[in-house]
Amino acid sequence: MSLNNLIKNWTSFRARRPYLDQYKNADYKWAMVIDLDACTGCNACTTACYAENNLPVVGKERFEKGHAMHWMRIERYWGEGESVPVDMVPDKGAQFLPMMCQQCEAAPCEVVCPVGATHHSADGLNTQVYNRCVGSRYCSANCPYKVRYFNWWQYADFAWPNPLELQLNPDVSVRSKGVMEKCTFCVQRLRESMDHAKTDGRLVRDGEVTTACAQACPTSAITFGNLANPQSQVAKVWKNQQIALEKDEQKKDENMRGYRIFEEFRTYPSVVYLERVRDLEA
Amino acid sequence: MATEKKMGVDRRDFLKVLGISGAAATLAGCGNTSIESGAEKVQAYVQPEDFVVPGNSVFYASTCTQCPSHCGVMGRVREGRVLKLEGNPNSTISKGKICGLGQASVQIQYNPDRLTTPMVRNGDSLVPATWDQAMTVIKQGLGKDSVISGEEIVFLTGTTSGHQKVLINNFLNNFNSNNHIAYDALSNHVGETVRENVYGYSNPVQKIKDAKLIISFGNDFLGSGLSPVYMATQYAHFRKAPRGTLVQIEPRMTLTGGNADRWYPIRPGTEGIFALGLANALVQHPEYDKAIPDEVKQALQAYDKRTVGEITGINPDAITHLVGMMWERTPTLILSGATAEGQKQGYQNAYAIELLNVILGNVGKTITAPTENPFPQMNPTNATYQALVNLNEQLSAKKVKACLIMGVNPIYTEPTFVGIAKNLKQVPLKVAMVTQLDETAELCDVVLPLLSPVEDFGTYVAEYQPEGVEIGIQQPLMEKLHPHTKSFGDVLLTLLKERDPKNYSHYPDYYSYIREAVIKSKPVFKSSMTDDDFWDSTLMNGVLHIPVKESEIKEVKINIADLPKAEKAPADVNYPFYFVPSIKADLRDGRHANLPWLQESPDPMTTVVWDSWVEINPKTAEEMQIREGDVLEVQSSMGSVTAQAYLFPGIQPNTVSIPFGQGHTSYGRYATNRGVNPFKLINPITDEKTGELALFATKVQIKKTGDNKKIVKDEGPTTLQQGRKLVVTMAADKAELSKEV
Amino acid sequence: MIIRKILFVFSLLALIVASFSINAEPFKAGGALGTQTIDGYNALGPQVEQPIEFPHYIHAKIMKINCMYCHTYARRSAVSGIPRLDKCIGCHKMIPEVRDRPRIKKLFWYWDNHLSIPWKKVHDLPDFVRFNHERHIQRFYFQDKRPVREVCGYCHGDVANMTTARRVKAISMGWCIDCHKKDHQISAVNLKTTNGPHDCWMCHK
Repeated sequence: MSLNNLIKNWTSFRARRPYLDQYKNADYKWAMVIDLDACTGCNACTTACYAENNLPVVGKERFEKGHAMHWMRIERYWGEGESVPVDMVPDKGAQFLPMMCQQCEAAPCEVVCPVGATHHSADGLNTQVYNRCVGSRYCSANCPYKVRYFNWWQYADFAWPNPLELQLNPDVSVRSKGVMEKCTFCVQRLRESMDHAKTDGRLVRDGEVTTACAQACPTSAITFGNLANPQSQVAKVWKNQQIALEKDEQKKDENMRGYRIFEEFRTYPSVVYLERVRDLEA
Repeated sequence: MATEKKMGVDRRDFLKVLGISGAAATLAGCGNTSIESGAEKVQAYVQPEDFVVPGNSVFYASTCTQCPSHCGVMGRVREGRVLKLEGNPNSTISKGKICGLGQASVQIQYNPDRLTTPMVRNGDSLVPATWDQAMTVIKQGLGKDSVISGEEIVFLTGTTSGHQKVLINNFLNNFNSNNHIAYDALSNHVGETVRENVYGYSNPVQKIKDAKLIISFGNDFLGSGLSPVYMATQYAHFRKAPRGTLVQIEPRMTLTGGNADRWYPIRPGTEGIFALGLANALVQHPEYDKAIPDEVKQALQAYDKRTVGEITGINPDAITHLVGMMWERTPTLILSGATAEGQKQGYQNAYAIELLNVILGNVGKTITAPTENPFPQMNPTNATYQALVNLNEQLSAKKVKACLIMGVNPIYTEPTFVGIAKNLKQVPLKVAMVTQLDETAELCDVVLPLLSPVEDFGTYVAEYQPEGVEIGIQQPLMEKLHPHTKSFGDVLLTLLKERDPKNYSHYPDYYSYIREAVIKSKPVFKSSMTDDDFWDSTLMNGVLHIPVKESEIKEVKINIADLPKAEKAPADVNYPFYFVPSIKADLRDGRHANLPWLQESPDPMTTVVWDSWVEINPKTAEEMQIREGDVLEVQSSMGSVTAQAYLFPGIQPNTVSIPFGQGHTSYGRYATNRGVNPFKLINPITDEKTGELALFATKVQIKKTGDNKKIVKDEGPTTLQQGRKLVVTMAADKAELSKEV
Repeated sequence: MIIRKILFVFSLLALIVASFSINAEPFKAGGALGTQTIDGYNALGPQVEQPIEFPHYIHAKIMKINCMYCHTYARRSAVSGIPRLDKCIGCHKMIPEVRDRPRIKKLFWYWDNHLSIPWKKVHDLPDFVRFNHERHIQRFYFQDKRPVREVCGYCHGDVANMTTARRVKAISMGWCIDCHKKDHQISAVNLKTTNGPHDCWMCHK
């Protein structure tokens, strides 16, 4: 997205609902499936994200202020409704939810960014360009999933006391104070594999690239891939679960488990969750 | 690097400019960059391997040493630095996956509080020294002319296996000693002894994947269990069509309990009685009638539903319900876990639980014999609590003249009544081998800085071998970071070479020792490769694998004397609450509290970070008028600690819990003076049969101190979904998992 | 499989700076080395003093050695790196007649001491930029079959006429974009044209 392009096509970079077969002829549309019945809430994915994406460890005091920078977090709930009795026994276990940027097709964050620092890429990623970001934090305010994290501090100065900084991934920037950041679907991995594929004169094969969280997940609850490739596992699951990217209300068989969170907000997320299953007779 | 000041336009000015013309401002943003010439160096390898290309990652296989499950891992290496660990797909244990604890290994390597030089005692303090100085002190006690032998020397470790263990034993043999003491504060020795006595194998294979119904008594196989990554991969299969059902029975909800289809809170210590209640109901069915001898059946009659319900605090109808499921859904698998085994009647509890497997006919189906390791000398040591008691007896008899300590921190993990610190101080030569100073190392005379797990060579054999036998090969993922750190193997070989040059002088280093041993094993793997190729391919694979050899569990023994008595524990007026500390999958017994990723990784059940907390049932809290964040004093007959209250519905109403792992007094900046250490509350109660510490049998009282502090946690103001449909749940009979791709 | 001598120093802290500076360094019209002013982005960098005054003109111009013979990583990796030391020695062992020259003596001094030469970076991109040498070489050298000196020369100038390399282009984002906007022939035989990618996340990491 060059500057001329940005000015000329200002409106087109604003939220736009996806349309049928939008990515039919595209090379890539990155998407994810998270099986909540397989997810055990073990936090392997979140640690993998820290390792891969140079996330700073903020410490107790900053964590208390809500400055944690975990691009991926596991939310834990005890009930679906508004209240539970005080003597509630969680006899069906807890409800774990891995939550990270949903890479919405019509992202609420994109429309409010005053400098176009967050916009949509051709392969369906909701990008965050640190160099453009001026830290207005409108995007975070407008994100219904609350998955955008603001750098309140110059973490590079203290979050990696020597020699911890030797662990930093050279493929990922260390963000400076005053910019917003969020899950990128491990764009550095995507770009590397896309480059290799291009050199070989082909597209990225299914399974050739995956995100750090999906790679670590001990129960393989996370599936990542290219939705534009109908042969990819992720496309097969989306199809099998009867989830259409461009719809805000899915018409699917009631015994299929796929759903997207906050679909009614018309954000058109790129992440499908599969419902947690519980044996209610147990 | 240009800073904001240097750029001339600071961020605030920039926002003003933005008000006038966002687009023009963007132009500046996309403009020229701070390109510099001659400011940074760019250097090449002198003579690299051909596959090393700058900018491209190289992956080396190794073995994780963070817990005794020894997953195969791969290290991503760029420009000579290890950046990240992934699972090794060649490993039958990790299957290409990895947990958070394993990933944090790299933070041992790069920890800012790493010990980088040897330390030698000078009066009351440890002072940095050279290796020569440190080794001189050691050689005064353990050198060429040392006459120390037998019980005069102690080698104290945690669970060790592979060539680490072999070398330690060779070292001790040289002193005519076999005094290798393996201590694990969270040992699972009770369960292992039971399974050894019942099946003949301390760790039979538990085939989670094949079970249709799992009833787990506090076995946290997904979190802090024996092989959590492997078990999680199997759990994923278990949840696929036809989906199995998981029932968890435990006083405090573990991560596994959080994933159960049905979770029952039970009064701590009564797990075995509940199991026998199930057994009693089960043998009423003609099919299971034949499974056990009449005398056992008669003994079971004492465990009628009503009695069991009263003792365990579980509604008696649950027994009927669970037994109905056991009849319908086969095969089943019954698991006993830490909270059932860490009791006064821990052995009996585990025995009763395994009895269920026998009655249900699971032996040979979901419980099978593990493959025999052709190298039994490499099998893991059985680390126990009893070992610490033995050590303490040896120390207090003042027989010990030299004590070498590696991989354990008894000063931190010992309960107050053991008092090993005082006795250890009297030993003339105490040597700790660590990567970072901890409470125990602080007491020693010489502290040697070891290589980190990603810098060293080694071989490891996991305690739990689900698919054949896997020998994990550890190799350095990078050059050593600190020049004055050494491999533990090199330290021992240095001493051995002096004392026994005939047998050891031909090993230049620990690397050559391991290499020779691995190459010697070649015939077992029927490899036709040359020695060099075999070694290289072993390092590349990261594992040596002995395929599954089916063998049967020949005989199952049941002894009615080993069943728990159906007695209700007397109420304790002074200490009304059960104290069931929780084992966090990452911090474990506190040895990983120095790793910042793990400190900031929220506890899955409570989402609390960086601290200790007291879990209390909301109902109990309401009765006692305790709010979240209230600072509570938890007192046992051994001592007291204070921590903030966290209202936790997944806990028995008359139970409180504090996680293990925090409360270090010396363990680097990330662990020191953070939270409290629940080991110091544990009462001197041991399992009657094995002598293992009953970690979950302590009773406590709680008092409000009047303070309230905000608890630092990740969850928001509500723990409920408020109808937002975040985690949607489908009934198992409605879901059609077999139709899914 | 032990990692032998690892001496590659990398900018460890990939610190990003949101740079809004208008004039990091003044542009100079026209290159001192006679490069053509076709894009308006010629900007001669300072002459950087290197540990060995490496004569590119001898290797590339007089000896006519292909750039990629030494800079072998450029076609295989995002970074071109610096040729490994044993590459230099591999040839120079066989050329005893120049062995006494001061520069070659220096070279062998590093080799004998098993040390890496501390070259200074001339083309130092900001740490938030992901530039991929491999893709550019593959696209324009292997696919378009253009002369290697021309392909490398787009960004690095006419190195064959330099001793140690000196920056001749601005290497700014505008300059990158300028080229990415141009129509480039798909391959030596296919006359259809394409542009370079314009997505922010293609080059910003």
